[in-house]
Amino acid sequence: MGGYGDVQMIDDNGIRVDGRTAGEIRPVSINAGIIPVADGSAEVIWGTNHVIAAVYGPMEAHPRKIQKQDRAVLDVRYNMAPFSTTDRIRPGFNRRSREISKVTAEALESVVLTELYPRSKIRVEIEVITAEAGTRCAGITAASVALADAGIPMTDMVISVASGKINGVVVCDLNKEEDNYGEADLPMGVCANSGELVFLQMDGDLSPEEFQIAWDYNMEAIAPVHEMMIDALKRSNGGDE
Amino acid sequence: MATPPVPELLKTHLSKLAENDERLDGRDRFEGRDVIVETGVLARAEGSARVQMGDTIVLAGVKFQIMTPYPDRPTSGGFMTSAEVRPVCGVHWEAGPPSPEAIELGRVVDRGIRESGCIDMEDLCILPGEKAWQVILDVFALSDDGNLFDAFATAAMAALRTAIIPGERFDVGEDRPLPVSKTPMMCSYHRVGGRFVYDALRREEIGGGERIHITLGDDNHVHSLQKGLKGAFTAAEFDEIMEHARSRCAELRDLVNN
Repeated sequence: MGGYGDVQMIDDNGIRVDGRTAGEIRPVSINAGIIPVADGSAEVIWGTNHVIAAVYGPMEAHPRKIQKQDRAVLDVRYNMAPFSTTDRIRPGFNRRSREISKVTAEALESVVLTELYPRSKIRVEIEVITAEAGTRCAGITAASVALADAGIPMTDMVISVASGKINGVVVCDLNKEEDNYGEADLPMGVCANSGELVFLQMDGDLSPEEFQIAWDYNMEAIAPVHEMMIDALKRSNGGDE
Repeated sequence: MATPPVPELLKTHLSKLAENDERLDGRDRFEGRDVIVETGVLARAEGSARVQMGDTIVLAGVKFQIMTPYPDRPTSGGFMTSAEVRPVCGVHWEAGPPSPEAIELGRVVDRGIRESGCIDMEDLCILPGEKAWQVILDVFALSDDGNLFDAFATAAMAALRTAIIPGERFDVGEDRPLPVSKTPMMCSYHRVGGRFVYDALRREEIGGGERIHITLGDDNHVHSLQKGLKGAFTAAEFDEIMEHARSRCAELRDLVNN
């Protein structure tokens, strides 16, 4: 949260640096089945973000100590490729990617019917190829599509969107430039059908009124993205109804 | 790497196919899969490429950093290759620090490019003894259906040939293309069912024996060789492979140079 108040990021008509209105998300496109050797896969192109997810399994969980007797474990890894940002990232896990992997796994465990696969493991690999603010949200969304593409039974699909605040104005889906001057960030993971939340983080400063607007912006973005996810799955699996 | 399931059955099957000079996907011994090269695919890299050969898909990205030249070569820049074979690209690749296989991949790709002298290290000097460009090549596997070596090497050269040195961003002059004077290309051969085949599938690698990687420059000069895995080969076998590599490297070079 930079909090530089003197940089003008929204003009007098409420139009943002990239021409969007406050509640508008970046252009999104979703494709499923993009990794031929994976059991399920998807890519989410969200603005300049390009995030890829692959699913392997269910498979035998080893070492045996990680097995759960009554359900499958979700082994989720979020990683940023070294060439995904302006300054190269040194390969390897860091605290940030470990935390994102953990909360992503917990979000997906809330919808995957893990009890159908006791003592097994489902691997979910999320790779950020190009980053432009909001990669964890794109990662969760991509992982949902990849799980569905792999035919893993789920009660619902998770769509993740963030809203934040720039120049004291609440806006949906901050891009990199806005994020650099952002004053708050509220990423949420919402189940498309039930409307329940399975992922929630926040940092920054929001008044009760601002918080409500940010929450509502996120909720409004869910349905259109859900449509694109379904469309991607239909295209890759040959269905059209 | 996880132990592949039932390699003995696969080996028997591959040997039977070899008796009739056949392969799993119907290709001839020295027939490669179609290669698709796209450049400019990574928005945050200064040069990038995506290469697809059958179900094998890889990315390569070039980034630049400013380094202090090594004391013994004060007017030279640097070149570094790092191969990331993350578990996203196949069920047999596991998470954790780079495996010996991934390190070998990166190093063999690196040697072919470095030893060909295609990048003029002196040209990367900004201020002798103080500042020089370091070229960092990251190759990244998205989908591994065999022969990551050739896919990486091809993507690497396509990415380097389109790379732009970001002088303006680092405040050291104007942006300019990275000069790349040659296009070294790699061809890899695996022993499958008793004889060597070119451009092996993942299943041929699992059920196969030793492998040989050859990198040739524009003038057919040899720039790197690597023999991997357990096994022994004859001089006659090597001659046959080298002859094929000379013609195939030229084809791949045309593809990368457009």
